[in-house]
Amino acid sequence: MKDLIRLLRLFKPYQGWMLLGMLLAFVTLMANVLLMAVSGWFITAMAMAGVAGVSMNYFTPAGLIRFAAIARTAGRYGERLVTHEATFRILSELRVWFYQKLEPLAPARLEAYRSGDLLSRIRADIDKLDNVYLRLLVPVVVAMLATLVFVLVLWFYDPLLALVEFTLLMVAGVMVPWLMNRWGASTGQQMVTTAAQMRSALVNDLQGMGELLVYGAADAHAAHIRQLSQDLAAQQQKMSGLQGIAQGALGLCANLAMWGMLLVAIPLVSEGKLLPPQLAMLALFALASFEAVMPLPLAFQTLGETLAAARRIFSLADMPPAVAEPEQPLPVPETLHFAFRDVDFRYQPEGTDVLHNISLDLPPAHKLAIVGATGSGKSTLASLLLRFREPVSGEILLDGQPLQQYHGEALRQHIAVVSQQTHLFNTTLRENLLLARPDADQEALDAACQLVLIHDFISSQPQGYDTWAGETGVRLSGGQAKRIAIARAVLKNAAVLILDEPTEGLDPETAQQVMANLVAHATAQRQSLLLITHRLHGLEQMDNIHVMDAGRIIESGTHAQLLAAKGYYQQLSVSGKLLVEKIKT
Amino acid sequence: MSTQDKPHKPHKPHKPDPAITNALKSWKTHSGFWLKAAVAIGLVSGLLLIGQAWLLAKTVNAVVFSKATLPDVMPWLWGMLAIFLCRVGLAWASEQAAFHAAVQVKLAIREQLYQKVQQLGPAWLSGERSGDIINSLSDGVEALEAYYARYVPAMALMALIPMALLVFVFANDWISGLIMLGTAPLIPLFMILIGKGTEKRNQQQWQALARMSAHFLDVIQGLTTLKLFNASRREARMVAQISDQHRLATMSVLRVAFLSSFVLEFFSTVSIAIVAVLIGFRLFWGEMDFFYGFFVLLLAPEFYLPLRNMGTQYHARMQAIGATERIVAILGETVETRDGTRDVISANTHTPIHLQNLTFTYPDGRQGVKDLNLTIHPGETLALVGLSGAGKTTLINLLMGFLQAQSGQILLGDTPLNTIAPETWRKQFAWLPQKPQLFPGTVADNIRLGQPQASLDAVQAAAEQAQAHTFIRALPQGYDTVIGEAGQGLSGGQIQRIALARAFLKDAPLVILDEATANLDRESETLVQAAVQKLAVGRTLIMIAHRLRTVQDADRIAVMDDGQVVQTGTHAELLQTSPVYQQMVNAYGGEA
Repeated sequence: MKDLIRLLRLFKPYQGWMLLGMLLAFVTLMANVLLMAVSGWFITAMAMAGVAGVSMNYFTPAGLIRFAAIARTAGRYGERLVTHEATFRILSELRVWFYQKLEPLAPARLEAYRSGDLLSRIRADIDKLDNVYLRLLVPVVVAMLATLVFVLVLWFYDPLLALVEFTLLMVAGVMVPWLMNRWGASTGQQMVTTAAQMRSALVNDLQGMGELLVYGAADAHAAHIRQLSQDLAAQQQKMSGLQGIAQGALGLCANLAMWGMLLVAIPLVSEGKLLPPQLAMLALFALASFEAVMPLPLAFQTLGETLAAARRIFSLADMPPAVAEPEQPLPVPETLHFAFRDVDFRYQPEGTDVLHNISLDLPPAHKLAIVGATGSGKSTLASLLLRFREPVSGEILLDGQPLQQYHGEALRQHIAVVSQQTHLFNTTLRENLLLARPDADQEALDAACQLVLIHDFISSQPQGYDTWAGETGVRLSGGQAKRIAIARAVLKNAAVLILDEPTEGLDPETAQQVMANLVAHATAQRQSLLLITHRLHGLEQMDNIHVMDAGRIIESGTHAQLLAAKGYYQQLSVSGKLLVEKIKT
Repeated sequence: MSTQDKPHKPHKPHKPDPAITNALKSWKTHSGFWLKAAVAIGLVSGLLLIGQAWLLAKTVNAVVFSKATLPDVMPWLWGMLAIFLCRVGLAWASEQAAFHAAVQVKLAIREQLYQKVQQLGPAWLSGERSGDIINSLSDGVEALEAYYARYVPAMALMALIPMALLVFVFANDWISGLIMLGTAPLIPLFMILIGKGTEKRNQQQWQALARMSAHFLDVIQGLTTLKLFNASRREARMVAQISDQHRLATMSVLRVAFLSSFVLEFFSTVSIAIVAVLIGFRLFWGEMDFFYGFFVLLLAPEFYLPLRNMGTQYHARMQAIGATERIVAILGETVETRDGTRDVISANTHTPIHLQNLTFTYPDGRQGVKDLNLTIHPGETLALVGLSGAGKTTLINLLMGFLQAQSGQILLGDTPLNTIAPETWRKQFAWLPQKPQLFPGTVADNIRLGQPQASLDAVQAAAEQAQAHTFIRALPQGYDTVIGEAGQGLSGGQIQRIALARAFLKDAPLVILDEATANLDRESETLVQAAVQKLAVGRTLIMIAHRLRTVQDADRIAVMDDGQVVQTGTHAELLQTSPVYQQMVNAYGGEA
């Protein structure tokens, strides 16, 4: 219920559309009941007049019938348009709202979720929430109003008629849906879960299809998908069975209401308390009035599904971001001097330290390299610097002030990053590059791409910069995608450039050339450079090098100093050199 | 025809492609007799309705004109009650039968589609947007439900019930019968006229939905990148924009789609009104008995009801057609299968593999390999080196059978590879891609992949050989640790070693490695390297190599350039004779 109220609060901007839709639905319903009731009365009255040979005023009922017919037809059309318009506006609002909730959670909080599951949540769950207005809110409000009107009208003829109508409307509109909701809730939840599981399994299987085939697991995975598909079908069949019972019970109630009217009204006609034409009128009135509660079982049945979706959406949206932004952020200074002071970091409170007692300096126009094996915590340094995460203890200073006092977004304005898991979007290369600087001209694009030796490749494509980058850039080789990602970071022209294993996946020749170009570019632009790498080449030009092992800085100095110190760095370096010499002889 | 007249892209047909409607028709067979049962039961329920109307007319007539009292009409009322109950049961049975039919179709189509995607294989998948395909497999297939569960039975009942009703109406009052007979065909006529325009738009709307889905997946996967460029807010506007576009597109479809039901409502309401008015006046003039008039009037709305139902189900059809278009397109992709059926391979570790004059160009015109020749000797470790785009990946995709060469052939000894059944061939090799995929499940399950019957001992032995045992043991639940998507929580080197353990467990005579050592730190590299060396013992090993250390361990190196193998030899030989190789080694040397 709490979820439902919260959902409704989100819909508030569109309450005008929503109310209009309800009003039109109500008018349409009333027009139909009026049409049926007046027709029944009209026919009988005409027949009686005919038999008695008296004249009667047939203009008024005929006019009423015409009016009701038009109101019903036009009202139905308007109702459908308005309620759908409202629904789509709500959906659009929800998507944006959810995206905005998701955005601060990236990347730290979203790592635990599978992207297939995430996608399923956003798309299917949010689509499902359309039920709240169209299938829940509109029918319930209309049914309540209509019941009130029906009971009042019948009371006027005889209280017992009103009682029969009210009782059966309650059974059909409240009891049946309530029972169905009870029986259908768990199935509804299972359906959402199964559908999500199937989608997630499909994502994994399609991405890993090659391995599944080679290792002969394709059939087993196909069987798993088949199983999920069958589970879903069984759940849907169960749901459909319930839905059928509900619809049947409802039709029965409508017929019973008509039956009850006859039972009560026939003696009244015999006693002369009701006029004979009113018998036909009441019978048809009762039948038509149940249109008000027809959508209710479906409404309540989908309620379980909808609430499950809403709960999942809210649970994700309510996660606090890993990093809180300051209330009154400091302006980011012109010159950026970062300093780590005794920084500790771990992912889980009880986990082991990923970073331990790290102190380092990154002054403006400084070239710093962090060297170490994968898993030594190098990349975590960058994510701390970018304020994606916060140190467990110790502090990071910018311009002497704690980093927490700056807004993450303002900070990232001045930092360009090539991360290890870089993503190229499903759009043109140009659009991918312009992400960094939407107003960059062609010259700037060319320059950035030339720097990373990808310009010639792009120009050689039939569509040049308008070439499409496939899903996660698969149409490009890993090295090409990487270089486009580097070009994108260069194009941003930020004061600090963070390169996290920038030459991975590149041909060695290209890698060397690209690294040299990047260092020269940074020097010329007076950019600070933070190079995170496990490769020891090209480090001669670095102002300072920290060697990391298991989350600690174990050695520091320039390339020359570190070689002279004959430590771990020198060992790595020498074994590398020996290898080269051995080859050359 | 001038060039201006030519459309830039082939236009979508205005009518749904007959292939699509035919597909929808032919899929009915998957449902067995359930659809027919649903219609038959629905028809009986419809006929009972006539009895109900008859009893109601009798009752009212007797009370109003014969001054009958409640006890007089009670038998009729009991009869009515019995009919109510029967109809409830029948309606439920009919609906269940129809739903069951739809479920059978959905299961069958999802199965077909998945198998097709599997046949098309990983090389085809990498060129497509898997978001679209996943959408077709899940939501697309689901969109068929309403078509078979509701639209098809409604269509059949629409023809049958009104006809049955019409017989009774004509028997009682031919004037009303004529009015109904005259107006009924107008309704489907108008519906078809309106439906035609809607159908095309609906297809576009489905495509828009698929694009939106792909866009969402893309945006969410790239959320971190967006954030790094402070573009995530900009993207929020894109999300809003695309949602709005979707709304506008859908509403423009609905405005027309609802128009068809508007026409239906309008015609049926007007027709009923005409019937009522004519009956009313004939009653007034004494030309007709009240019983017949009231009976016919009660049947009139029921006559139009199935027609109206068809209107509300009509967009189920359009949804299904939109989804079917995508499904049929995937099912219609040609699979470049080898027609090979041979399921026994005489080849073993002593059989050489000859690649003869292989040429492959991608559908988009990119060159893969061109007139490539290479012999893989049994038991050797062969390294493929070359710049990116030289054709290394294409070569191994051809070898694995994920791509089929346009010309040339691959011989296994003297048996052409394309005479061997793909499944049989795939049993002969293990594969380690550049980025191995881990599947949801435990570490042990991931190593067992394809061999679920393998014992834990065998899994541990494989992991030990792959240098993975130590780190797996250190995981919270050891081999039973559940891994997240893409192996979250594991390092690149650890994922590589789990993939290597798979290969050890498979124990195939041929191992294919795709840049298996890229993206690793030194220590992982050493461990992976050691594992690969172990794997090479007694097996043929083909690997795409990027590092000198990898190359050095190879028995032979094939240097690739521009889609061809330009030279082969040992490291020492190539250093002497190949300028291309020398150049590459120099670069490797600088890498340390």
